[in-house]
Amino acid sequence: MSVAKLLALDKVAKLFNIIKQNGGIRASLYKLYKQEELKDGVLVGEDKFGNKYYENPRYFYSRNRWVEYSEKVHLNYDASQVPAEWYGWLHYKTDLPPHQDPSRPHYKWMAEFTENLSGTTGQYTPYSTTRAKIEPWVPKPKTGA
Amino acid sequence: MSLAKIFSVSTRVRASGACGVLRHAQYSTEGKTEKVYPPNVPGFKYVNGEFQDMSMTEMSNRAAQTLFWTELARGFAVTLAHIFKEPATINYPFEKGPLSPRFRGEHALRRYPSGEERCIACKLCEAICPAQAITIEAEERKDGSRRTTRYDIDMTKCIYCGFCQEACPVDAIVEGPNFEFSTETHEELLYNKEKLLSNGDKWESEIASNIRADHLYR
Repeated sequence: MSVAKLLALDKVAKLFNIIKQNGGIRASLYKLYKQEELKDGVLVGEDKFGNKYYENPRYFYSRNRWVEYSEKVHLNYDASQVPAEWYGWLHYKTDLPPHQDPSRPHYKWMAEFTENLSGTTGQYTPYSTTRAKIEPWVPKPKTGA
Repeated sequence: MSLAKIFSVSTRVRASGACGVLRHAQYSTEGKTEKVYPPNVPGFKYVNGEFQDMSMTEMSNRAAQTLFWTELARGFAVTLAHIFKEPATINYPFEKGPLSPRFRGEHALRRYPSGEERCIACKLCEAICPAQAITIEAEERKDGSRRTTRYDIDMTKCIYCGFCQEACPVDAIVEGPNFEFSTETHEELLYNKEKLLSNGDKWESEIASNIRADHLYR
């Protein structure tokens, strides 16, 4: 074991490397503020909403893949903003990111992905899809009298 | 209790602990009448811990030393070490836990690749549902095919057992991978057919991948 490793200098070097990868001290502090954590990794891909997906196998399983939510949403990031295509990769179901997976279906009727819209104007409100079984009787207005 | 005394006690304890092996010889040569424990018997080696003086003063001295000095320092050391440790938790929602392709989450109604809805209103899911969360009404469509006009699932009744997707003969109703569908009101969880079909359209990429990942076991 070398002296540098004994004094944990390799960890210090790692810290500076992470700060460098995240774009300097200013950008690192901003990222810490937004994500509460600073990590280094390889950019695996980016979806059409601007979310970026990273991987670094140095971290243990289930910490080694992560998403950095789009700059557009700023602090209004939500777990449901990860689209269906990237969902499997982020949840460790597959090692293939969607752009390298040829077996993923692309039908023209497939809908645009939306986040969980509860509490916004776009939220789902239930309604009946059939005609009512019982219709209230509306008396005919009397004519003549 | 003075500081000097604390340190003198600690050095004495450490010194006697370190030369425990030599004790037997020491006792045999000195031959004092002082009462010792363990008793000095030839060919016998006491291997257990040091017998400690159990007078009230000595006991409270030892307790004070442990409490005020060593424990405190060790506690700070543990705290400091944990600051630099990699956390054992994941940073949700940036990192997510592993999930099975068989995970039973939010329901969805699927379509055939042509875009035609799969459900034929056989009502097997409604019959098997142990929570009776599914309500189906069927009618003949204009082209003569049998389709549902109402397919309601009360997601607050549902127990996510997965019987509906096992009962389905055409893979129409599935429990998709999504578990992030919490709502602010109860009524938003009373899903109707349109909502279930739109779930299917949204999640088809992942639902199809899950079914393919599990096809050997189906």
